[in-house]
Amino acid sequence: MTLIRELSRRGFLNMGAAAGLGLMLPKTGLIRPAFAAAPLPPVAEEAAMIAWGYVGPTADEGWTWAHDQGRLAVEKAFPKLKTSFVESVPYSADASRIYRQFVADGANMVFANSNYGDFLYDVAKRAPEVAFYECDGRLAMENLGTYYVQHWYPSYVTGVAAGLMSKTGKLGYVASFPVPSVYSGTNAFLMGARSVNPAATVQAIVINSWFDPQAAAQAGTALLDNGCDVLFGIMDEAAYLQVAEQRGAKAVMWNTDIRRYGPSAYISSIMVDFGPWYVEQVRRRLAGEWTPSEDILPMAKGVDRDAWGESVPPEVAAQADAAREKILSGWSPFTGEIKDSNGAIKVAAGQTMTERELYEWNWSIEGVSGLDA
Amino acid sequence: MNLHLQRLPSARPGMAFGARVAALVLALLTAAAVLAAAGFAPLDLAAQVLRSTFGSRFGLEDLGLLLTPLIYTGLAVAVGLRIGAWNIGAEGQFNIGAFCAAGVALFVPGPVWLLLPLMMVAGAMGGALWILVPTLARAYADVSELITTLLLNFVALLLVYFVATGPWLDPSGHALATTARLPVAVPEFWGIVHWGFPVAVALALLLAVVFAFSRWGYEVRISGSNPGAARYAGIPVTRHLIGVMLLSGALAGLGGMMEVAGTVGRLQGGISNNYGYLGIMVAVLARAAPLGVLASALLMAVILNGGIILQTQGLTTNTVLAVTGLILLFSAIGDELAHYRVIRRQEKG
Amino acid sequence: MRDEADIRQRLGLEPGTPPLVALRGIGKIFPGVIANADVDFEVLPGEIHALLGENGAGKSTLMNVLTGIYQPDSGEILVGGYAQSFAAPQDAIAAGIGMVHQHFKLVQAFTVAENVHLGWGDTPARISAADLEARTAALAATLNLAVKPGAVVADLSTGEQQRVEILRVLSRQARVLILDEPTAVLTPAEAQELFVALRGFVAQGNAVIFISHKLDEVLEIAGRITILRQGRKVATEWAEDCTERSLAQLMVGRDIVLSDLRGRPDGVAGPGAPVLRLEGVGLKGLLTGITLEVRAGEILGVAGVAGNGQRELCQVMTGLARPTEGRVLLEGVDLSTAGPGKVAAVGVGHIPEDRLASGVAPALSITDNAVLREYRAPPVSRGPWFLPRAALALAQQIAGVAEVAVPDFAMPVRNLSGGNQQRLVARREMRIARKVLVAAYPSRGLDVGAINTMMRYFTELRDQGVAVVLVSEELEELLNLSDRIAVLFHGRIMGVVEGAEADLDEIGLMMGGQSRNSQNGDSQNGAAA
Repeated sequence: MTLIRELSRRGFLNMGAAAGLGLMLPKTGLIRPAFAAAPLPPVAEEAAMIAWGYVGPTADEGWTWAHDQGRLAVEKAFPKLKTSFVESVPYSADASRIYRQFVADGANMVFANSNYGDFLYDVAKRAPEVAFYECDGRLAMENLGTYYVQHWYPSYVTGVAAGLMSKTGKLGYVASFPVPSVYSGTNAFLMGARSVNPAATVQAIVINSWFDPQAAAQAGTALLDNGCDVLFGIMDEAAYLQVAEQRGAKAVMWNTDIRRYGPSAYISSIMVDFGPWYVEQVRRRLAGEWTPSEDILPMAKGVDRDAWGESVPPEVAAQADAAREKILSGWSPFTGEIKDSNGAIKVAAGQTMTERELYEWNWSIEGVSGLDA
Repeated sequence: MNLHLQRLPSARPGMAFGARVAALVLALLTAAAVLAAAGFAPLDLAAQVLRSTFGSRFGLEDLGLLLTPLIYTGLAVAVGLRIGAWNIGAEGQFNIGAFCAAGVALFVPGPVWLLLPLMMVAGAMGGALWILVPTLARAYADVSELITTLLLNFVALLLVYFVATGPWLDPSGHALATTARLPVAVPEFWGIVHWGFPVAVALALLLAVVFAFSRWGYEVRISGSNPGAARYAGIPVTRHLIGVMLLSGALAGLGGMMEVAGTVGRLQGGISNNYGYLGIMVAVLARAAPLGVLASALLMAVILNGGIILQTQGLTTNTVLAVTGLILLFSAIGDELAHYRVIRRQEKG
Repeated sequence: MRDEADIRQRLGLEPGTPPLVALRGIGKIFPGVIANADVDFEVLPGEIHALLGENGAGKSTLMNVLTGIYQPDSGEILVGGYAQSFAAPQDAIAAGIGMVHQHFKLVQAFTVAENVHLGWGDTPARISAADLEARTAALAATLNLAVKPGAVVADLSTGEQQRVEILRVLSRQARVLILDEPTAVLTPAEAQELFVALRGFVAQGNAVIFISHKLDEVLEIAGRITILRQGRKVATEWAEDCTERSLAQLMVGRDIVLSDLRGRPDGVAGPGAPVLRLEGVGLKGLLTGITLEVRAGEILGVAGVAGNGQRELCQVMTGLARPTEGRVLLEGVDLSTAGPGKVAAVGVGHIPEDRLASGVAPALSITDNAVLREYRAPPVSRGPWFLPRAALALAQQIAGVAEVAVPDFAMPVRNLSGGNQQRLVARREMRIARKVLVAAYPSRGLDVGAINTMMRYFTELRDQGVAVVLVSEELEELLNLSDRIAVLFHGRIMGVVEGAEADLDEIGLMMGGQSRNSQNGDSQNGAAA
């Protein structure tokens, strides 16, 4: 827990400013310069209203909880402004209604996390005076930016640990939807595992939800029944960790440190911390500096692996951390040759995938099953 | 002297209306009491809901957009009720209507003026097709449509999930679990409210006229009220049952088409957003009268819209669902109580 | 019969033994209908007492009073010699009176043991399925009823289900067992088994009340027979003193006051040419070889004990059922397959047997119901359009002729009294009955005034030259009106008699299944002379 907080607070605040300058540094998180639009006018702190639309409940101890920590950080940094949030915003026309209602309530800035797509764009187009951010978004507009994390690097790092700890070489993945986050997560995890066990595979089960503990537990059980002994996934809660704990298997989690639900099963987690980034965006909005940006927070600056679990042997931790250090020093594991699940070469030998390609990854590599139709 | 309740065979119209109003007021008062107990200020919340909904063009547009699918599904269920069929499957037919319309939009090239009517036909036919098996089973084997239509909802829902995240997934990678944006959209009518809304209102008016002023409407009325009497009068009950149920499915399917091509713009899982089930409430509150559907859909839309407003004030969706449930419950009780009158009677002996 | 001591002696009882149950002077009035009036009825230990009467004679009402479902308006109930009032069915059960209804009240998905114990205060709060079955088996053994405790009721035959129902009633320590038409659902062999069980039950000092209108079986099983007619007790007789014929006479009424309505006013001719002709009509074994003619300006009565094919006969005559054999001709045109709409359109009206099930849509408005026969044509509809205003005008016209005061034509027709509904239906049908009117039990459930109105309607139609088929269980009504009377038994016509020469004995015999003068029923036309 402390690790990520330490990492993220160090030198993180400048990132947004860097983005504003349009610097295109490798792995700083900026995949495209911001729009050359004129900044939105400043807002007095006491008159400002900032709104969040969450995919799940803030009590999920996962993704939504992590973002709500960011909201609380904003409240702390700017005590006079008002924040508002709606939990469990559905993926339907109701999402548009909720975002429109934020606008009607006088919001100056709206964060949507995540993936509300057209439901958000329709609202943003009609509210040019409001700043919008879509987490895990794929489209920027004059008043809409996107933000996400380069979770594929810590996924690779935990994949190394998983590959070393798995006895069967069969890894399981509890997937929400067959979307890029899931593709990049499974692919990176398997590539990490294959770096130490070339025979490793990942089997994914799609449960059509980000938050459905019962379905996640069932999927986890099914994967273990199929011979998997390390589980990974992209759930906003701890259900499959509990399953792994009961069955004596291991698990890698997402979002937060939830090892208390399965102390001996816990390997690590893809930890996110959006707080400093949120504070910086709100600051820009209030100061009248805000133009939309497309930020993908890099490893060690918004996303990282969690401190290793109690059952992770020191030599495993050391080997995985060596990979982490290598990545931080500029090496990319996503370098060809990479084949897709049909055996076709998608990335030629020697070629390295760009951050945008990684962000929009929508095919499975060889060895990952359950996602491609 | 002794007070007694006497049940009348049918409610007096004034009583029935009064009971409805009383039910609505009671439901809202109950909700207010619960909210007050939970530390909210119900009056402020109510004022906020009314201001946000009716006080701005933005609110009215939103209301119109929410009203549209509710009218379609409300009409679908109401039409079925006219002949005594419970179409619990409007949810599924809505999904299939959206699916068929999206299929046409995504894969059939052609000009908009041709594609839009084609999508309407595809949506309506899809909805009708989805209720075909329950219809035939009811008409010829007397299998309750309640169960069959309900079960097909889940099939439709999963089918849409499957195509939207699988074969029809947006190839651009921009949308995560939906198809690509449909190249054809229902044109806007008033702000964000698309033409699906005036079409829905026109359909309600048309159906009201047809039920009141056509021979077919009369025959359906008799068939629904007493199939035995209808057969005795030489009315083709089975044929009407099939026709009406298919019409019911087609209306729900058309609603799905309008939703996907007007409101959402992409086909995605859960596009029906429970409109099919809410349509049951709408139709029941309307007592299966098409014009009543307009009124009860409006009521339902205000409540749902109010729910969204309340969510931004820190309430959860469940609170809103509880309020809609209360209204339905109190209405049902009110409808029954409207049959009674209090009489004074001298004690015997 | 008059002598109380004599009755007890013949039953082998001590003089002064109180009846298990007795009803004294029971009266029950429903709005417009006298269901029971001044009925005395008693059941002594050890007897099987049959309750006989036509449909609507008041048997069900009387038994509903005895089992606490209805409270009598007058009279009293004595149990074991003491007056008692039953506020609810549970009181009657507690007093040892149990009833097995025609339609079993069993939970199909439960086992026999579960059904027997359902809703029984003696059932232990917690008990295993095995114990439940053991209790049931023990109970069945003491009561000498063969049942399978573990079987699911839905899997049992009707006869077995009936035994479960009886066991259920007897398990509550019933001393008086009421059976409503018990053999209607049984095969002859099953009926014999039932009779054995019943005799065993009464041999232990209990009693059975056996409701039926089957004369032969009543004579077989019963010791004494009480006959009800029009809500009143006609007689109580020893079975050995009765014959089927005497019972039939008692049932349908031997003191019929003839009020002959067969006479025509001056200037109206008698029956004319045949209009409706049935040729060898059969319907799935429910009707067999029916050949019958109805003439213009004639009233043809159809007599018979209810359930002998009257319903089916009306259905084939009005197009509601397609005959499986033979033909139905209206003025020479074959209407066998025309369907009810077409048959009505060519001038056949139909007052159906069960008005609420098929004659009207009770929940719809008086207007909607009044135009049911004429909505297809102007003025009520024009092209595809239905004109509510014209419909209202027609409804007002029909209500006017029917002399029914309607406060609001938009009100559901079920708000009208039965008599007014029937008048409206009758008037509605008379408007379309240009050729034939088929009236099934038109006076059932009506009071005297409404019955007279109905009769007047039929003579009016007859005098206009319409052929009227009057199906009734009231022989009095048939004798007063009919030019000829056909008698149905088991779906066959036993004979046709001229109304003017009708002999009640003869009709009674034919209703019991003897064909006229031992001739075949099919040759009725010749026999009519």
